[in-house]
Amino acid sequence: MPAIERELETLAVGHDADGFVVVTFEVPGHRQNVLTKQVLEELAAVLDHLAADPPRGLLLCSGRRGSFFAGADLARLEELLARPAPEIVAACDRGKGVLARLSSSFPTAAVIDGVCLGGGLELALACDVRVATPDRHTSIGCPEMKLGLLPGWGGTVRLARLIGPGPAIERCASGEPLSGQVAHTAGVVDACVGADRAMETAKRLLAMRAADGSLAARRVRMASPVDLDAGERVFLEATTAAVILGRTGGHYPAPPAILRTILAGASVDAQAASAIESQAFATLAASPVARNLLRVFASGERNRRDSGVEGNAIDVKPAERQAIVGGGIMGSGIAASHLRAGLSITVIDVNPTALAAAVPTILEEAAWDRVAKRVDQRRAVELAGALQTATSLAALAGTDLVMESVTERPDVKQQVLTEIERLVRPDTVITTNTSTNPIARLAAGLGDPSRFCGLHFFNPVRRMTLVEVIRGPATSDATVAFAVAHAKRLGKCPVVVNDSPGFLVNRVLMPYLHEAGELLREGVPAERIDRVARSFGMPLGPIELYDMIGLDTAFYAGLVLSAAYGDRIEASPVIPALVKAGRLGRKTGAGFYRYAAAGQLERIVGPDDKAAEVIARYAHTPRESSDRTIVDRLFLPMLLEALRVLDEKLVRDGRDIDLAVIHALGFPAFRGGLFPWGDSIGAAEVVRRLEPLADLGTRMHPTDRLRHHASSGRPFAD
Amino acid sequence: MARPSSSSDLDPAVTPVVVACCRTAIGRSHATKGMFRGVRGDELAAAVVRAVVDRSGVDPSTIEDVVLGATQQRDELGGNVARTVALMAGLPFATAGTTVNRLCGSSLQALAQACHAIAAGAENVQVVAGVEHMHHLPMESAVDIHPGALARTSRGMLSMGLTAEHLAATHGIDRRRQEAFALASHEKAAKAFAQGEFQDEIVPVVGLDETGTVVAALRDQSVRGDTSLAAMAALEPVFLPRIGSITAATAAPLSDGAAAVVVMSEAEAARQSLAPLARVLATAFVGVPPSAMGTGPIHATHKLLARVASRGISLADIDLVELNEAFAAQAIHCIDTLGLDPDRVNVRGGSLAIGHPLGASGARITTTLLHALRDRGGRYGVATMCIGLGQGIAILVERVGR
Repeated sequence: MPAIERELETLAVGHDADGFVVVTFEVPGHRQNVLTKQVLEELAAVLDHLAADPPRGLLLCSGRRGSFFAGADLARLEELLARPAPEIVAACDRGKGVLARLSSSFPTAAVIDGVCLGGGLELALACDVRVATPDRHTSIGCPEMKLGLLPGWGGTVRLARLIGPGPAIERCASGEPLSGQVAHTAGVVDACVGADRAMETAKRLLAMRAADGSLAARRVRMASPVDLDAGERVFLEATTAAVILGRTGGHYPAPPAILRTILAGASVDAQAASAIESQAFATLAASPVARNLLRVFASGERNRRDSGVEGNAIDVKPAERQAIVGGGIMGSGIAASHLRAGLSITVIDVNPTALAAAVPTILEEAAWDRVAKRVDQRRAVELAGALQTATSLAALAGTDLVMESVTERPDVKQQVLTEIERLVRPDTVITTNTSTNPIARLAAGLGDPSRFCGLHFFNPVRRMTLVEVIRGPATSDATVAFAVAHAKRLGKCPVVVNDSPGFLVNRVLMPYLHEAGELLREGVPAERIDRVARSFGMPLGPIELYDMIGLDTAFYAGLVLSAAYGDRIEASPVIPALVKAGRLGRKTGAGFYRYAAAGQLERIVGPDDKAAEVIARYAHTPRESSDRTIVDRLFLPMLLEALRVLDEKLVRDGRDIDLAVIHALGFPAFRGGLFPWGDSIGAAEVVRRLEPLADLGTRMHPTDRLRHHASSGRPFAD
Repeated sequence: MARPSSSSDLDPAVTPVVVACCRTAIGRSHATKGMFRGVRGDELAAAVVRAVVDRSGVDPSTIEDVVLGATQQRDELGGNVARTVALMAGLPFATAGTTVNRLCGSSLQALAQACHAIAAGAENVQVVAGVEHMHHLPMESAVDIHPGALARTSRGMLSMGLTAEHLAATHGIDRRRQEAFALASHEKAAKAFAQGEFQDEIVPVVGLDETGTVVAALRDQSVRGDTSLAAMAALEPVFLPRIGSITAATAAPLSDGAAAVVVMSEAEAARQSLAPLARVLATAFVGVPPSAMGTGPIHATHKLLARVASRGISLADIDLVELNEAFAAQAIHCIDTLGLDPDRVNVRGGSLAIGHPLGASGARITTTLLHALRDRGGRYGVATMCIGLGQGIAILVERVGR
C-alpha cells in the first residue's frame, strides 16, 4: 500500500496480519487526546487514502493509556462559540462530514480503553461497532450539557437511533458518563472486554456482523427515522420535560433543547436530523449560559494547571507520608478524601474514644459508592489498610505533611502546632484547617513559619471541591506550591488566598447572610428571601443556609468578620438572641425555620414562630422590597466585596473568586460567577442600582474600582 | 332485548366452572398499622387455599395443580411459592404447583390459564390463587429493568402514577371527578360491609389491629366510611408534586392480601356432585402502548367480547363488571370509553377502597364478582384489569343455577 501523502502528527496508521487497518491516536501537546482540527484532517486523509484500496476493516484506538478522546479541543471550542451562527453550523457540518465517512464503506470499529467523552463518543458512535473496557479509567458519555451545549457531531442523531430516543435524551441531558460495563448494557457499546482482548473482540465483531448482514442493517437503521409510537412520544416529551424542569429550575437551556432536538430528529431521516442538531447547537452556542459555563470550565482547567505561585514552576515532591491531627468531623472528612484518592493517611487524636468513633466514619465515607448509593463493604476493608491511627503526636515522626484540624480555639491550635513542629523534620509542611483564625496569629509560636499555611477544607469535605490555601505573611512559595499540589491530588480545586479575616469564601459570603438578616428585620418573610435566592439559582436561600451552618457557628464567624469589616457589617443581634433561645438551626430542630426533627437532612416544616418574635424585637422600618430589589441587596454587596478582595490583592487572579463562589457557595454556574453576573448587568447599571440603596450604609456604596469599571466600560471579567 | 342463547351447547367435559372462591380481608401495607404486618404472604395464600378447598367440597385427591399469581416472587414469596403454599395447605403431594406473573393481572392470568388447561383437556381440577404482601415485598425493589426495554418508550412509563396522570391530563379527567369516583368506591364498599355483603367471601385470618391486639381480620382495612370530598381535597398530589391531580385518595392503596378460586370442568363438578357458581366463557389478554397502561381494560374487554360475539353476547348483556381500580382516572377513562353503565361497575366498591394487593387482585375481583352476581341474580359478568408496562386482561363468566 502506498504511503499517505502527508506527515501525520496526531495518529499512526498500521496494518495487521488479519487485513485490518489500525489507526492509533496520540494527539501531541495535550494531557488527554482531544479532537483538534488537525485530528479530523488527518483522519480524513487516512480515509481518502484507504478509499482506493478498502481494507477488511478499520479500527480506531488510542495510543494514550486511559484516554480514547476526552472531547473537543477547548481552545478551539471557545473560539468557535464566538463566531456567528452560520459559521458554527458550517463547523459542525465539516466534522460530521468526516465522521459520516466511517460508516460509508468498509466496516469500522472504535476500541475504547479510557475516557471517551463528547466529540470522542461522537467519533466512536460514527463507527459501526464499539468495544469498551471495564477498567476504572473508561468513562463514556456526552458532557456537552455541562457547557450549555449539546452534541454537535451527530451524537444526538446516532444515539437516538442506537439506544432509543428516551435513553438518548437521558444520556445527553444528564451529562453523566457511564462505565464500560453500564455502557454495554445500555447498548452504547457492543461489547465490554478486558483491554488485552479488546482489539481482537472488535475484529471478531466486525467480521461476524459483516458476514451475517447485521452491520449493513444497522447502517440502514442509523440512517432512517426512529420507530416511535405517537402516544409514547407525547408521553416521553411530557414526562421528560417535567424531570428536566425539576432538575434545572429552568436555568439551563441545553437539556430542554436536547429533548426537542432528539424528538424532532427522531421523526425524520438521519440527514435531516443532523441538520436540526447543527442548528440547535448553534442556537445554544450563542446563549450567555454556554459562554458562562465554558468560562467556568476553562477557569477550572486553568486552576488545574496553576502551581499556586508566580514565576518559575517549583518542583514539588509529592508527600508520601501525611497525617491529620484531630479526628473530628473535618479531620475525618479530610482523611476519607485521602483514602478515596488512593493515599495513605495517619489520623491522630489524643482522645481514644473520639478516634475509635472516627475510624468507621472515615472508612464508610471513603468506601461510599456514589452510583449504588451505599457503602462498598469490600472497598472499606481494602481501604482500612491505608488508614493508621494514633493517640500520640509521636506518630508524626517521618511525615512529609501534617494537617492540623483540631478545635477552632486559637490557643489550642497554637499549642498543638508548636508541638507538631517539635516532632517533625525541618522540611515537613504543616497546615491548619481553620475558617476564622488568621494564619499569622497561628504561626506566631512556630520556629519556621515559612513551612506553614492554611489548608481550609469545607464541610462536607466529600462534596465540597474547593479548598482555600491560605498564605500567611511568612509562608514560602515552596510551601504554597506543596499545599496546592497536595489538594489537587485529593481531586480538589485549591485557590490561594492571602491571609486576611474570613479569607475569601466566608468574606464574600458574609454580605449575603448579613443582608438576608437585615431583610428579615425589615419584615420580609424568610421563605420569600429564600425563594428569591433560589430562583436566582442558589442551591439554598440565605436563611436556610444560616440554619444549615448553625447559628452558633454563624455567630462566632460573624464576630471575626464584623471586627474586621465593621464599617459595613454589623453583627446582627437576631443571631445571638436565637442562639440564647437554643434555636441553633437544623441541628436542634429549629432556627429561623422549624424542622421535622433535628439533623442535617431534616425537612423544613415551616417558619419558626419563636424566631419571628425574636426578629420582631429588632425590627427595622420596612422598605421597598420587590424581588429585584431583594436580588440586588443579596448579591450586589457580594460583588462589591469581591471587588475589594481584588483591591487588596488577596487572590492572584479574579477568576479564582468566581471559582470559589461557584464551588464553595453554590453560586449558579450558569451565571459564570460574580464578575460575569456583574457584567451581565453592566458596571454602570450596578452603580445606578446601588443608588436607591445608598442610605443602607457603606456596604451599598460603590467602590472606586466599581466606579472605574462604570466609567471605562471595562468588564469585570475579561 | 333478546337474551343470548343458553350455554347448554357447551361440552361439559371441556367447559371450565368455578365451584368456590374466597379471599382474605385486605390489609394496609404499613409497618406499624397494617393488619398483616406480622403475617407472611405465603401464610395468607395458604389460608385462602385451605379455605377454598374446604368450602368447595372438592375431593383433594383430585386437585391436579395450584396456579398462583404473585408479582414479587422472591423472599417469602420466592422459590415457586405455589408449591410451598400447597404443602402448607395440606394438599396431597401429587398436587403440582406453579407461580405465574402478569403483574397486576397475575391471578386473573392464573385463572385464565387454568381454564385453558381444562378447555384443552389437560389439567382439570385446579386451585387458582393470588397473593401480594406489598409491605414485606415492596413493588419497586429488586427490579432491574433493561435500558433496552425503554428504547421505544420512556422511563416515565415505569411509573404507573405518571401514566395515570397523563391519562387524566390528556382526557380532561379533573381531580374533582377522580375524587368523586373514589368517594363513591368507599361509600359502596362501606355499605356492602354494613349490609354483610362481603361476609360470604372473606375468610378470617388472624392479624393485628392498629394497637397491636390480635384480631380475626374480617374487614378491608382501607375502606373508609367517614371520608369526604373535603378530606380528599386537602391531600397533596403524589406523583407530580404541586401540579398533579392524583393523590393517595385516587390511587389504589398499597395492600396485603390473598384470594383463591377452585376450577374444574363442568363434567367433573357433576361427577363430584359440586354445584358450580359460574362458567368461564372467555378470556382475553392484550398489550397496549406502555404509557397508556391504564387503557388495557378497554382493549381487553373488546377482544373478550369479540370472542363471544358469535354466541350473541354483547356488552349490553353484561350484568356486572369488576373493573380493577388502580387509579380513579384510569377507571373513569375505561368506563367512559367502553360506555359502561356506572351502576353495573364495581357495585360493592373497588380497589381504591378495598385495596390492591397486586398479584391477589385478579382472584379478589373474581370472588367479589361471583358473589355479587349470585346475590343480584345476574347472569353475565366481566372482570378486567389494567397492567403495568401496558397490558390488559379480561374474563367473562356466566353464573350457573342457584
